[in-house]
Amino acid sequence: MAKEVSGLQEEDFMKIRNNLITKKEKALKRFVDSINGRLLTHLNSCVHCGLCAETCHYYIATGEERYIPAYKIDQLISIYKRYHTIIGKLIPKWTGARDFNDEAIKEMVDVIFGACTMCGRCSLHCSIGVDIPFIVRTARSMLVELELVPKGLQSTIDAAVETGNNMRISHNELVETLKWLEEDLKMEVNDENACIPLDKKDKHILYTLNPREPKFFPMSISAMAMIFYAADESWTISTKFYDVTNYAYYSGDDDTAGELMERLCNEMGKLNAEILVTAECGHGSRSIRWEGPNWIGRRYPFNVITAVELIAKYIRDGRIKLDPSKNKEVVTLHDPCNLVRSGGVIEEQRYILKNACSNFVEMYPNRENNYCCGGGGGQLSMGEFRDRRIEAGKIKADQIKKTGATIVATPCHNCIDQLIELNKEYNLGVKIKTISEIVADSLIL
Amino acid sequence: MTLYKWIFIFGFISFLFSTLYYILKIALKASFNDLSTPKGSLVLGILYSATGAMSPVKKESAYLHLPTYTAGIVYHLGSFLALFWLIIHFFDIQLPSIFSRASSIFLIISAATGFAILIKRITTSKLRLFSNPDDYFSNIIVTGFHLLSSAAILNSSVTPILFIYSGFMLFYIPLGKLRHIIFFVCSRLYLGIFYGKRGVWPPRGRFHEDKE
Repeated sequence: MAKEVSGLQEEDFMKIRNNLITKKEKALKRFVDSINGRLLTHLNSCVHCGLCAETCHYYIATGEERYIPAYKIDQLISIYKRYHTIIGKLIPKWTGARDFNDEAIKEMVDVIFGACTMCGRCSLHCSIGVDIPFIVRTARSMLVELELVPKGLQSTIDAAVETGNNMRISHNELVETLKWLEEDLKMEVNDENACIPLDKKDKHILYTLNPREPKFFPMSISAMAMIFYAADESWTISTKFYDVTNYAYYSGDDDTAGELMERLCNEMGKLNAEILVTAECGHGSRSIRWEGPNWIGRRYPFNVITAVELIAKYIRDGRIKLDPSKNKEVVTLHDPCNLVRSGGVIEEQRYILKNACSNFVEMYPNRENNYCCGGGGGQLSMGEFRDRRIEAGKIKADQIKKTGATIVATPCHNCIDQLIELNKEYNLGVKIKTISEIVADSLIL
Repeated sequence: MTLYKWIFIFGFISFLFSTLYYILKIALKASFNDLSTPKGSLVLGILYSATGAMSPVKKESAYLHLPTYTAGIVYHLGSFLALFWLIIHFFDIQLPSIFSRASSIFLIISAATGFAILIKRITTSKLRLFSNPDDYFSNIIVTGFHLLSSAAILNSSVTPILFIYSGFMLFYIPLGKLRHIIFFVCSRLYLGIFYGKRGVWPPRGRFHEDKE
């Protein structure tokens, strides 16, 4: 007769146990495979000075010491020391080396997924220059092997893999929404020929969408369509693969991230467009522009630019004319971390807003020193950490309050979602808009 | 050659080999095959990473923590000065007495800053959270190095102890957190490459407004 262990038949218990051991081995293997010169350097550089504490919005807002960046990366560094350093192997406690056990994994999930947006502000200000988000993402990739990616984040990725977009929008629903927006555009510009071209070949631009736009924020598509109309641009939207987001970037799952990127590349090839323009989405733009070629292992045969860079170019080239007096309210700008600090799109949005608004004010700190809104790193999809996310967002809420602005512009839909929640939670009384919406409001047609 | 110098040489050679091992390991595992199209300059990024980005006015870790930052700078200068004096002692070079006395005083000050940093680590709960015995020991061993070095400048009878101590310290450096002296340069290099390529470093300022 089979013995019972922890309420399970011994055979089942052994299966689960062996499965877990296999997963841990796979996670450790994933870690070893990812140790390149860059990772090796950063794993050996932290001196535990703790001066990174005040750079992190999680720590400043909550005072929780476990949210200090040095502590977060120590979750992986301690495992590295245990298996890859002499002292860590011989006298683990001396250097804080730890076994990759259940306790370590539990803490890793909590602080690596639940208390970090991988915004990179800590890295920029680190006394040594440790690439903290890089270490955090490596730790996340190990948790992918353990199948411990928080449910909401994983289901967002699964939706993108299964349906082509992270919100499971059906083809019909998308086409109907875009057709409705096209009718709206015709009325708005008073031109029967105005259109939102779908799946057209040989256009100059293939424009991507954040699925949240057709689902919840169709006006940001309208705004961009109006800008394309005003610039007399040759453009199209794919109704098959249009999703600019790539949540596998957040989870650390390079294989899936590459698969999603590959689809977009194939679509570019199929439609024979010249430039891929990423919608206003920070991590999506970063994924496509900077990480994508490395995920798929080859350079793109096309150019990639962000919508913000494109709009700035239209203004500079005189292809669109703006009247700033049409936007009289005080407008401030939130810099999305992935677009600005990790993407180098820093001045373009400022140039646009100064041309599109009569009263633009900066929030401080800004540009590459900005604070994360709290919505990055996949936090918006991880419901289990919602309260923490809102609490950490207080830093951004305070920044916004200090500006006295009534409109917060930001070129990122993740940030928009978080700012909408912060607006409600901290009674900011502001409107949240994309850059293209503000530009569309000031267009001279 | 005396036994204590041989002990020092043993420590120094083991440090040298460990350093070479780490550098080779980084170099062999280095992959600069980033396939994305650059927006900025790698070279300028690296230069900025090693200069402007290290400026105390640019780093919160410096300007929000000026006493700690200053102590850290003095402490590290002390370490370099003590290493310099180790070479002087090894080759029996004579230096002007004013320089010797000034060095000795500076090394006492730098040891005091090391001690202050140690006290901060012991008394600050957030630092204790992720500190391990190696963090405390590394501080103590380097602070001791400053003190011994200071004493050896003024009193040559301390020199043998300094050589034995230094040999042990050099042997220990690659084993604990002190190995950051090997990795620090590479960290700045990689960070410079990352931000330089993406056009974040060096900060471009308001180039569009300038152009308009």
